[in-house]
Amino acid sequence: MKRFVRSPRSFFIFLAATFVLFILYGLNLLLDVARPGNIWGIFYGTLSTILMAGVAMLGARRRAMKMAAKRNIGKVKCWVQFHLYAGIIALVLMFMHIGFSWPSGLLDTCLWVTSVWVTVSGLLGVLLQKIIPKMLASALTMEIVYERIPDLVNQIRDRAETIVIDCIDPIKDFYKRNISSVFLSPKFRSIYFVDITDGIQRRMRPFDYLRRVIPLIEQKKLDQLQALYKAKLELDAHYTLQSLLRGWLCTHLPASLLLMVLIVLHLYTVWRY
Amino acid sequence: MKKQSNTTENKSDLYQDRWSSYGENSGIIEISEKPTALQLQQFDIFSEYDSAFLEKISPDISIAIWKKNAVLFEEGSYINLAFYVVKGSIEISLQKKESSALGIPIFDSERTVAITRETMNKDQTLFQAQIEKQKSSKNPTAFLSNLDIDLPLGGSQILNEGEIFGEIGALSGWPQSVTARTKSECRLVQIRIPALRMMRRKSSALKDKLNLLYKERALFSQLQATPLLQGCTETFITTLMDSVELVSCDPDEVIAKEGTSADGFFIVRSGFVKLSQKISDGNIAVSYLSKGMTFGESEHLLEGVNTWLVTATSKEYSELVKIPKHILSQITQSYPAIEQRLWESSIARIKETGKSRRNIQQSEFISTALNRGLVGGNSILVIDLNVCTRCDDCVRGCAETHGGTPRFIREGEKYQNFLITRACYHCQDPVCLVGCPTGAIHRASVGSVVEISDALCIGCQSCANACPYDAIVMVDTGKKTKENEVLYLATKCDLCHTSKEGPACVNACPHGCATRIESLDAFQNLIAGSGREGLS
Repeated sequence: MKRFVRSPRSFFIFLAATFVLFILYGLNLLLDVARPGNIWGIFYGTLSTILMAGVAMLGARRRAMKMAAKRNIGKVKCWVQFHLYAGIIALVLMFMHIGFSWPSGLLDTCLWVTSVWVTVSGLLGVLLQKIIPKMLASALTMEIVYERIPDLVNQIRDRAETIVIDCIDPIKDFYKRNISSVFLSPKFRSIYFVDITDGIQRRMRPFDYLRRVIPLIEQKKLDQLQALYKAKLELDAHYTLQSLLRGWLCTHLPASLLLMVLIVLHLYTVWRY
Repeated sequence: MKKQSNTTENKSDLYQDRWSSYGENSGIIEISEKPTALQLQQFDIFSEYDSAFLEKISPDISIAIWKKNAVLFEEGSYINLAFYVVKGSIEISLQKKESSALGIPIFDSERTVAITRETMNKDQTLFQAQIEKQKSSKNPTAFLSNLDIDLPLGGSQILNEGEIFGEIGALSGWPQSVTARTKSECRLVQIRIPALRMMRRKSSALKDKLNLLYKERALFSQLQATPLLQGCTETFITTLMDSVELVSCDPDEVIAKEGTSADGFFIVRSGFVKLSQKISDGNIAVSYLSKGMTFGESEHLLEGVNTWLVTATSKEYSELVKIPKHILSQITQSYPAIEQRLWESSIARIKETGKSRRNIQQSEFISTALNRGLVGGNSILVIDLNVCTRCDDCVRGCAETHGGTPRFIREGEKYQNFLITRACYHCQDPVCLVGCPTGAIHRASVGSVVEISDALCIGCQSCANACPYDAIVMVDTGKKTKENEVLYLATKCDLCHTSKEGPACVNACPHGCATRIESLDAFQNLIAGSGREGLS
């Protein structure tokens, strides 16, 4: 079971809760229709809102490390599990709230679309978080902190340029034509999503050709350049994939905030009118 | 809160009472660093060395005059020097009365001799029984095997001119088991460990003298507490003490070479020993030994085996006790229970060796663990990179719990899909504690936690320079010293030992991929378990 879900216990609780909800919904349909305005609809809607509020608390928990040191408020890992499964259940409850029908009115439509968007983007995030770390861990030799990448690229470039100064002309020319542009800055390259090494053997071939025609003493310098080049390619891979790991949140967080605002508006309109 | 401030106050008092030249109120009246060869040759301990050698070691030697009643070191502290009394007298005392002060045996309880779980439990029970016995006794003698001087609790001993002390703990990397205080105004030669090691290597007379001191002061307790020798009479151990040889090894020194004549049996007193075996043209690591562990059982027990079955290499500075083969035969004849334990240990070693030979990954793991110092760590932060989303919440959580400054960075070496971070390992023998002039870095009262007291740290960097794993970071405090120099503060992981939830790094990880491992077995289990994890 652990092969498919990280926390089987949470998963089973989720399955059980979903099952209970559908049984309840079945009973509901036997007795009455589900509409936002009747008691059933209000029950589902209230439950969904409470769950969404709980789901939104993850951000606060992640920033409450000081409080966690003094009071037992649970590990972030458990909160993430709750965030994921309760988020899905909240969406299901929202569907039940409107009787699995298309919403009417602008606000309700926005609320519906945003809820679906938030949940789907969340699930996409889970998928990315499952795939990308494995890609990074499997083929790359280095482990890099994302924020340090630009600084490391600068260091690599400086070191490469120091080496090149003392090299013979063929290496200087080779560096100028083939490598110098790579060392300019971290590069986002989509190829890394498909091939994490970006055909590293192919990219090393020019070095091998050049090595055959230069004196032995210069070969060591070329080896150093090659090692720096390899390191830069790994940095680019980290930069690209880690950008996606972070960038994904941009599709989830603003929509989540918008959802919160829309829920408040929805509650206000229900209460007011 | 009041308790904490009292502790700090007490420590501040200790600081002012120490030998450090950093303190304005140090107990030192006068100190001369780097004495000349001529000056050194006046003392008996240096008389047999030539001038060139003495010049070479003089940077590691100082001569100090201490005022009366000054504390040279206290129980539990780590020092990196030995003292030679030129003039005056020193009182050595053992004062700790709490049960916690008795501590635990130095043995690696997970892997020590007579490995079977039942025997181990029995041994642990024996230790506990001994502790209880001492607690109830009116005049208990601390039995700990890491004692460098055997003293009854609350007792004291006077050391006079011409005597050396502090060397056992310093050479072995153990905490001092006694407190040393000047009884009168004293003139002491202070020899740092590198110099002492060189002196010992060069002079067999000094080596014999140090060994004799060790035998007189500590060996009895150590042998008595060795699980292998449980049940032996005091008379027997006293006789055994005369027959054993003390072996000191440098890093990478070969203690026993596979295929050469096996002439003894070894017990590791300190350090780590790598056991390797030939496979084809190369050598693979098959096991390792930590303190309290033994090797040479199979060579002694198996019929027709007279040569070493493994090559034993000292991984760092290590100290061993060698029991000659004929003495071991006498022991096993007199005590069948010991022979039984040797058989159990031998079988366990053979199994372990076989496992490493069959599975090259096991051998690679042992090598990595030895090279990276994982074998000596009590709590190592590892991150499963297959799961880690590089969100840095672990570092952020650490920073938030420690006033904005994280105590580690998410960098380090990779082993398979695990990142061994540069967070403090809370080592069994923490070298960072050795030489701290103020005692700021110390063992906390909780488990094996090593922590730094901000109030006592003077930013000298001695701990940061000593740490082999770059786990201590000097942080700019934004303040200046009287000499207008930047004031740094040493920071390192304290395992969040005051937190109710435990280490913040582990708790803050949203995916549960940050783990604290407390033994190599735990790490192996973690490696075996990873890759089977699921989606959410």
